[in-house]
Amino acid sequence: MKQPQATTGQVVQAGILAWILPGAGHYWLGHRGLAAVFFVAVSLPFWGGIAIGGVKTSVNPFVNKWLFLAEMGSGGYTSLCYVLNHYVGEVGPRELAVLLAGKKTVDSYPDHRRVQIEKELTGMVAYYPESDVAQIYLAVGGLLNLLVILDAIARAQTGGLPVFHHEVSAAGSEQTGGPT
Amino acid sequence: MNLLPDELLGMLFLHPLKLPAGARLWMFLPLAMCIAAVYRGTRARTARELPRATVLTFIHIVIGMILIALAAYALHALVLWWS
Repeated sequence: MKQPQATTGQVVQAGILAWILPGAGHYWLGHRGLAAVFFVAVSLPFWGGIAIGGVKTSVNPFVNKWLFLAEMGSGGYTSLCYVLNHYVGEVGPRELAVLLAGKKTVDSYPDHRRVQIEKELTGMVAYYPESDVAQIYLAVGGLLNLLVILDAIARAQTGGLPVFHHEVSAAGSEQTGGPT
Repeated sequence: MNLLPDELLGMLFLHPLKLPAGARLWMFLPLAMCIAAVYRGTRARTARELPRATVLTFIHIVIGMILIALAAYALHALVLWWS
């Protein structure tokens, strides 16, 4: 454990580290075992979701803003994927959302570009049922990391106690018949 | 299969993987295990407490989900029977 009680700056740092890389906040606080568990338990659903859904539609705020918001719980991963989404392929995130919503058709593009866009729509866009599984995995990955961030902040503030330590203490006092 | 690094990255992050038929249901299990690990992790003082508690929570989640599925199926069958 790093130290009994951290300063506000250290608490914020633990939270930001956990947001950038799952488990990094705990690692920095000295909880190496928990850091490894959190890293695997958040990274697995997140990168699993990316592998199943691909970045083009799965990390795209113009296609599904609520999913993107949930994914931002794992801020470092999501930002990386969003940058990848922007720079790879012929169709940008906003344009892809317009095409998928049917507000514009591929026929409105010149021939040479239409071929590239059609190729991208068939090769890089996930459809049902893969898109559903990817969304669930990514949303769970992002939201689980919010818990991890809260836990890192709580452990920094209390000198190592978990985020739900009041609940754990209450359960312990019920079993022993007194306050712990 | 010899893949170049960019091909491997493209396969992993750009081109969606195809799930085998029937795999969707089983995708629930690793997700439930991750949820159990994080849930228990936020209640543990050290990582040593985690394995047993995580497995127990995982079993609870799976049993709970099976019961919910059975209840939903029963309700669905009942509605079909009534109509």
